[in-house]
Amino acid sequence: MAKAYDHLFKLLLIGDSGVGKTCLIIRFAEDNFNNTYISTIGIDFKIRTVDIEGKKIKLQVWDTAGQERFKTITTAYYRGAMGIILVYDITDEKSFENIQNWMKSIKENASAGVERLLLGNKCDMEAKRKVQKEQADKAFSSLARDILLKSGGRRSGNGNKPPSTDLKTCDKKNTNKCSLG
Amino acid sequence: MERLEEVPLEVLRQRESKWLDMLNNWDKWMAKKHKKIRLRCQKGIPPSLRGRAWQYLSGGKVKLQQNPGKFDELDMSPGDPKWLDVIERDLHRQFPFHEMFVSRGGHGQQDLFRVLKAYTLYRPEEGYCQAQAPIAAVLLMHMPAEQAFWCLVQICEKYLPGYYSEKLEAIQLDGEILFSLLQKVSPVAHKHLSRQKIDPLLYMTEWFMCAFSRTLPWSSVLRVWDMFFCEGVKIIFRVGLVLLKHALGSPEKVKACQGQYETIERLRSLSPKIMQEAFLVQEGQLGGTCVTSFYT
Repeated sequence: MAKAYDHLFKLLLIGDSGVGKTCLIIRFAEDNFNNTYISTIGIDFKIRTVDIEGKKIKLQVWDTAGQERFKTITTAYYRGAMGIILVYDITDEKSFENIQNWMKSIKENASAGVERLLLGNKCDMEAKRKVQKEQADKAFSSLARDILLKSGGRRSGNGNKPPSTDLKTCDKKNTNKCSLG
Repeated sequence: MERLEEVPLEVLRQRESKWLDMLNNWDKWMAKKHKKIRLRCQKGIPPSLRGRAWQYLSGGKVKLQQNPGKFDELDMSPGDPKWLDVIERDLHRQFPFHEMFVSRGGHGQQDLFRVLKAYTLYRPEEGYCQAQAPIAAVLLMHMPAEQAFWCLVQICEKYLPGYYSEKLEAIQLDGEILFSLLQKVSPVAHKHLSRQKIDPLLYMTEWFMCAFSRTLPWSSVLRVWDMFFCEGVKIIFRVGLVLLKHALGSPEKVKACQGQYETIERLRSLSPKIMQEAFLVQEGQLGGTCVTSFYT
């Protein structure tokens, strides 16, 4: 059978419970937005194939339960990930503070040099924003330079970046809004 | 919502009166005719008596009698903010289309909060696990908060001990056990999952931790829970094995699942036929021997 894609990339979504990881993954893989979700128990994944500069890129995106105790199950999937998306909720400071802990989990469990992306979710709730963009920039530019701070950072060549442009399209469609950085 | 498999009205009335007799003479029945109780649970508990029967079967009723006022005491206590925060995030994410849980801050969600919070005070060293929420929600669909609380206690401590604890060790162990049982029940499915290196935790975590409440059609959930309350965790194993066997148990089925993703998809969207209550009960009994011999 001919391969249906040129590259396969495994991405992983992590972050506190309730920040909207499942919502993002469904928005991304199924182009579908819904306000009603059930909490994720354990781990799940979805697939989407995208065209980047003439190459078919198959993205396998893993979704994880956010509660601390599920880390014993979910961290096993960090190692195979090429990119990890750290999600926080811009209306919830705690979820932003905890990014530090999630970073630590990455350090302990993921492959060295794994690409990381910080994603502030729920930008449609601007009125309730608690975490400012500058805050996120500041906190993490010193901490981890390789975190992608600017949107639209698609790199040519190896395509080894999280699908930042696709996530950005969420903004345009006015549904599952997210800010990068 | 799918239609319940019809039980003729006369049969239902007969079953109700049999169950009423059992519930009114519970100790005698438990001591002398346990087999009969088991058989009646397999046939399905009449809906009008299900909530009561679950309390008797689980021992939640005895727990409540032994601890009068305990729930109220826990209910009045403020609770650890660390747990309250996680619980509150989950209240609107359980059976969001069920009438009882559909409205934010409605009665169903309030009771869910009370039950889950009470548990974190009852077992502070255990705290709250996200998988307890769907379990508590199903209980609340059948009984008041206090009764639901004691049934939850029984499930967490007697039926599925360690499932919701800090390190989630018990669920990981049961994942391994399920997989080794699968080798006997369906070598084809076992081989396929081994070859694709699919960790049991990838498909069984939600099945087992939520006792299939998020997986099966509703009438099947209730039938499975009827048997689960009577016979314990082996029912969960049996159902898991039936699903795996019939989703991946033949060369043609396996062939259609070329990669990990296809296999997981197959297990996420199971064919309705293999999830029907009658099918599960029948197949579960046929394939039940190896699970039973493992557990006894």
